[in-house]
Amino acid sequence: MASSSSSGLTFKLHPLVIVNISDHYTRVKSQEHFAPPKTNGDASSSLPSSPPRVFGCVIGVQRGRTVEIFNSFELLYDPSTDSLDRPFLEKKQELYKKVFPNFYILGWYSTGSDAQESDMSIHKALMDINESPVYVLLNPSINPAQKDLPVTIYESELHVIDGIPQLIFVRANYTIETVEAERISVDHVAHLKPSDGGSAATQLAAHLTGIHSAIKMLNSRVRVLHHYLLAMQKGDIPCENSLLRQVSSLLRRLPAIESAKFQDDFLMEYNDTLLITYLAMFTNCASTMNELVDKFNTAYDRHSRRGGRTAFI
Amino acid sequence: MESIEPLIAHVQGLSSSVDDICHLHNLLKQAEESLQSQAPRLALVLEQLDPSKHSLGYLYILEAYTSAPIQKEQASELVVYIANFINTCLSDQIQLAPDKFTCVCKRFKDQVLQLEAPVRGVGPLRAAVRKLQTSSEHLTALHPDFLQLCLLAKCYKTGICVLEEDIFEVDQPRDFFLYCYYGGMICIGQKLFRKAMELLHNVVTAPMSSTNAIAVEAYKKYILVSLIHNGQFSTGFPKYTSSVAQRSMKNFSQSYVDLANSYNTGKIAELESCAETNREKFELDNNLGLVKQVVSSLYKRNIQRLTQTYLTLSLQDIANTVQLRTPKEAEMHVLQMIQDGEIFATINQKDGMVSFHEDPEQYKTCEMIEHIDSSIQRMMALSKKLNAVDEVISCDPVYLAKAGRERPRFDIDDFDTVPQKFNM
Repeated sequence: MASSSSSGLTFKLHPLVIVNISDHYTRVKSQEHFAPPKTNGDASSSLPSSPPRVFGCVIGVQRGRTVEIFNSFELLYDPSTDSLDRPFLEKKQELYKKVFPNFYILGWYSTGSDAQESDMSIHKALMDINESPVYVLLNPSINPAQKDLPVTIYESELHVIDGIPQLIFVRANYTIETVEAERISVDHVAHLKPSDGGSAATQLAAHLTGIHSAIKMLNSRVRVLHHYLLAMQKGDIPCENSLLRQVSSLLRRLPAIESAKFQDDFLMEYNDTLLITYLAMFTNCASTMNELVDKFNTAYDRHSRRGGRTAFI
Repeated sequence: MESIEPLIAHVQGLSSSVDDICHLHNLLKQAEESLQSQAPRLALVLEQLDPSKHSLGYLYILEAYTSAPIQKEQASELVVYIANFINTCLSDQIQLAPDKFTCVCKRFKDQVLQLEAPVRGVGPLRAAVRKLQTSSEHLTALHPDFLQLCLLAKCYKTGICVLEEDIFEVDQPRDFFLYCYYGGMICIGQKLFRKAMELLHNVVTAPMSSTNAIAVEAYKKYILVSLIHNGQFSTGFPKYTSSVAQRSMKNFSQSYVDLANSYNTGKIAELESCAETNREKFELDNNLGLVKQVVSSLYKRNIQRLTQTYLTLSLQDIANTVQLRTPKEAEMHVLQMIQDGEIFATINQKDGMVSFHEDPEQYKTCEMIEHIDSSIQRMMALSKKLNAVDEVISCDPVYLAKAGRERPRFDIDDFDTVPQKFNM
């Protein structure tokens, strides 16, 4: 597997594809988790030793040197023939052609941490539909330290290794591309709350966490801009007037309202929220203190409990 | 003089790094006996040591020196010595021997009191308190001595700056009682009645296994301060008061409770007569000044009650209702209250009318935001501490034994083992 492709194609990936793959993987994984294990008899269900791999096709449009991957659908993997389910694929292809006449099968996807040798056979099988299919790989393991998306796009190239020309996977760069409607719906799906997190506290916490991360991102971006402008002022970077114009227009858009009445109302509402928070903290603290006092009285005050049976239910 | 010379050499040599200090500490502990026996000659020894570098050695020798009885002539010099030592010593060295340091400071206090110049002791003891504290939330044995000196020297402001800190760790309960009691008295002296009430309340409600004279005195003052500050006094105790206190406090302070009852009627004449009848008792407890303040605060209370009934009132009517002699006096009172922020009113001097207003605070300003924000932060810190203490006491075997014993014996399936707090 070489590091970067030299084909010169630009890849654009839509978020819908990523959500589809992730959804497919999650479904299969949770179904397998709940299916009873066949051999052992212990009561606890154990997770399969390795996470299942899911497979499917990606479809999209290729215009010139730009490959844009719009959508994807799932396929069954047949381990006996080590290939994807061909008749089903063709049927699906026909159906999609009726709805999206422009879309072609551009390649296939799978999950895992790295591309494997066996994937090459699937890749070759698809080569009769598309001469140079793409392989989209999603890494389902969650790594909180990782900042980028765990999605890699591989192309196949013919390289001469040890005198034998071989097809190997090479990584390709891609960008995420989206339209407004897609962005809204993907955002909606991404923010679905789990069903048992129904209590108000977790919902509020989730909502506030979302706002907090959004503000954090805004802050870091503004900081980058600020740093850039400072460097421009010092003279380290040549002055770029178009950028300066954009920054200036951004600044002129804020603040949206500036008047004494707005200030008044804003401060009053801010104070109200702060007072409510204060009251909540107070109640919380008072409740902790009350329990502490009860425990202390039980433990150390000799004469306070006379024949009292506490309702310890 | 046999073992002093090498000891001095040790002290001078081993006062630099942490390991040396520990070694020195052990040597000093072993040499304690010989030091005690040669107390009078140690004054010369002290000349050779520098308190700012050799604090630990100096401390031991000083303690041995002061353990012997001191003549009056030497007392003054000794006071200077000890003051100098306290001001210049290194806190990490003396924290290795806190009881010796406390001992030295207490003797210092006695000397200062004997010389009848408590003012001389205030500064050094404040420095001593700061150096002995491991953190600003730690109550040492020196706190009450320091506050006592402040009271006797009438330097209330220095006392206040130490009282501002919140205390979370207490070494000895007696220190805590004395600290809060003296602290309450200092706050009364400075007319900070709210803080005085807080401190006196702490004395009364602190856990105690048997009746405490300090708590009884504090309770008497607490009743009086509560009348001055709040205008009312409730005889019930909060539930964290120890049962000992709940039973016995009222027996010792009956006259004060009577005073509180007559205060509640709102009539000056009754209050004054009650104060007169119990005058000797109040004088015995040194509370007569406070009682006089209570009587004068009744006027304020009555005027405040008027704000709830009237929107405007003439000065003459105020004087009549509150039983003041002239409208001029009423005007003085109202003016003072407006200045102190106890009521919101304007006096129209042309026709002698007073109009009462609502609290003009709109809660719209940035200062209010900062104020609330800082309160929230403090509350969060306090909440964390409370949670930590709660966890500690939940694991306390004494508590678990008693809580387990009282639980009704049900079958294991009959009740939900989830503690009540989490059942929503």
